[in-house]
Order: sequence, then C-alpha cells, then structure tokens
Amino acid sequence: MNVKSLVKRNYKKQPEIDFPDYKSSTFRAPKNKKISIPSNNSEIFGPIFNKKIIGKLDNDLTLNFSKNKMSPLGHKIIVHGTVSDQFSNPIKGALIEIWQANAAGKYLHQDDKNPAPIDPNFSGCGRSLTSSDGSYEFLTIQPGPYPYPNRGIEWRPMHIHFSIFGESFGQRLITQMYFEGDPLINLCPMVNSIADEKAKKSLVGKLDTSRSNIQNILAYKFDIVLRGVKQTYFENRQEGL
Amino acid sequence: MKNSKNILDETPFQTAGPFLHIGCMPNKIKINNLYKNDLGEVPFKNKNETEMITVEGSVFDGNGIALDDVMLETWQCDENGQFLEDNGFARFIPDKLTKQFKLFTVKPGQVQNLNGKNQSPHICLSISSRGLNMTLNTRIYFEGDDLINDPILSMIKNNKGNIHSLVAKKIKKNLYIFDVFLQGDKETVFFDV
Repeated sequence: MNVKSLVKRNYKKQPEIDFPDYKSSTFRAPKNKKISIPSNNSEIFGPIFNKKIIGKLDNDLTLNFSKNKMSPLGHKIIVHGTVSDQFSNPIKGALIEIWQANAAGKYLHQDDKNPAPIDPNFSGCGRSLTSSDGSYEFLTIQPGPYPYPNRGIEWRPMHIHFSIFGESFGQRLITQMYFEGDPLINLCPMVNSIADEKAKKSLVGKLDTSRSNIQNILAYKFDIVLRGVKQTYFENRQEGL
Repeated sequence: MKNSKNILDETPFQTAGPFLHIGCMPNKIKINNLYKNDLGEVPFKNKNETEMITVEGSVFDGNGIALDDVMLETWQCDENGQFLEDNGFARFIPDKLTKQFKLFTVKPGQVQNLNGKNQSPHICLSISSRGLNMTLNTRIYFEGDDLINDPILSMIKNNKGNIHSLVAKKIKKNLYIFDVFLQGDKETVFFDV
C-alpha cells in the first residue's frame, strides 16, 4: 500500500525564529529547539476547502470593497503565479488568502498607528483557490511602504501577506511577497531573518512585462512552493495494522 | 524515487504580522461586506451540542503577558478518528478583554500513525503572529486519556521534552484548559513536523 509522508523541512532556507534585529521576536520566539516528529496522518490529510466559499470578487481587491464602483487609489497590479510542491507538481484547490496595506501604506485595522489615510474603497483583503494547473491570480493595487517601530522607526518594503493551505496541514505556509527593485527589501530585518540569499530572493515577485503589456496593468509573478508529499510503497503490510 | 537534487526549496515563511485579521478573519474586525463567514468559525457543522467539548486557554509571551494578537488554527479528526476535508479545521484569536481563546469542538477519536500504531486523541495546533518569523506547530492532548502509549508523546519524553505542556487539563466534564507558553520554564514543546 502507498503511505504518504512530508519532505523534511530545510531550516537553512527558512527564517531564524529568534532574530534580535526584529524586536518583536525577543519575547515571542521559543528558546528551545523544536522536536522533530515523523509526519503523520494528522498532518497529511487536509484541510481542503470547497470552491463554494469563494465569491466572484474575492480575488479582485480593486472592486471587492469599492463603494459605488469607485476605484481604490494607486496603480492597479496583477499578482499571479503557481502553487506547486517540492517535486514541481502543481497543487490545485490550494487556498490563498492575502492582505496588504493601501497605496498610502495604511492597513484597514484599528491597531495600525501609521498616520496615513485609509482608502474607503480598499480593504486589502482577498482570497482565491488555485486552478487545476496550480495557478492563481489577484487584481489589486500597489501597496505602499510604511514606517513601523522597531530599532527606532524603520520602513517595511512594499509587500503583500500570503497565507496558503495546500492539501495537508503540514504544508501550511504564511509568508510575504515583495516587489522587484524595492531598495527597502535589503534593509528589512524580517527579510534578513532568512540567511540564505536564494531563499530570500524567492520572496521577491518579478515584474512580468508579458502580462503587463496585454492588460495595460503592471504584473508581478510570484511562484509558491509548498512541502512535498512523498508516496512510499510498503509491501507485506497487513490491513488494519 | 526522484533525485533529491531536483527537489525545489520550500518557499520561506515570513511573519503574519499584526494585521493578519484583514486577510484571515475580516468579519472579526468589522470588514463585513466581503466574506459571508470567516474561515474556520466552527470546526464541525451539524454536531449535537452534547457531544462537544470546550478547550480554553491563553498564549503567554516571555514576559508572562497573555497575548491577544495571535492567530490559532486547529486541525483534527472527528469523534470516529476520520479526517473530513473541510470539517475539523478551526481558526480563532483570544478575546481582547479576557485574553482567552475558546475552541468549541468534538473530542477527536483515535488516529493511527503511519506505522499503524494508535495515537492518543489529539488536536493539531498552529500559532502565527507578529514576532513569530515562522508559524509554530504543537498538539493538544487530553488529561484522562491513555497518554503512556502514544508514539509521539513517548518520543518527546525520550527527548526530555516537557510533555505536560501538551496535555489539556480537565476542569470538568467537557471542559479543558490548554495554555501555551512561548518562552520560559513552562515553554511549550513545538514540533518540526
């Protein structure tokens, strides 16, 4: 019979949990080493989300919060790409949820103390399920950079938050996409909590001029790789054991 | 078996930040016109209330402060040990005033591990927030169950891990307390799953 298990996570390609340059991690990052457990049925089967939960405008942030068809401020962008596993298999039906600041760098959130204006036509919230080829697409506006308290006042590079569910709870990923060419990326402690340069770069959405020309909208491509699920064949395995 | 050199790198994590509610639970912060329901508001639909348990607790940082800007996600099988795709998932945050979260769900049944060994009933728990560069994974087990023979708990014991941090205390019938400690003497055991 075939038994599924997850590819072990490579922590050299992941951020450091306890990273003093990012002040908020000081009292939140656990100090003990994680205990490695073998992947298990509990981490492998689901959750899987039904497409019935997705509304027509859920992946169009330029319209899903607009009042009287007013556009949010800023320039429109397409953010698209694919979700695959580590074996390059596209993952269909992956749920992607995104959130972001508006063009002025302000979140529609009471805890955002940045004195920049909110945009009444923009919530910064969207979601989508990937198609059968693992592809996804959002229409949104370019988020602004913004100041935040860290080691004094620092600036976050422009970014969009991504939350992704593949087919397994053990594939769960929460990350951020940055924008090619933004000089703030290399100054950001959250980005720099990842030591590996290639891994860092994989979070930068690439300007995609092929799509930009067709739509007259700037496009960025951001491909996402979730952990691989291995199938291992076991012989001599008794039913029910 | 594919050549391991052809295996792509997993996309790195980044912190979910303080504003994750916008994307993950917009109705909770009064962004009401987008989604009919927030994802994972109830883990199981159509369950008889008498079968349900409540797990409540807080998430403490290294200063002993109960946090209210963390997001918790749980994933579990039903009472018969079956995983049901979109049933069994819940997502919640601590209450702003009490700093306590409440999970109202069914007590999970037993699930086998990949070697066919029974595991004690448990709920997978993940925690994401500002200050956490990666999502943390742990499990909730239940006081009163057979915890001696669970393969994962045995492994943690052998690693000198604090297994008590993984066991929800039974307060009364159907009510359990499960606190999470991010740091300190009582630091919760987190997994590399």
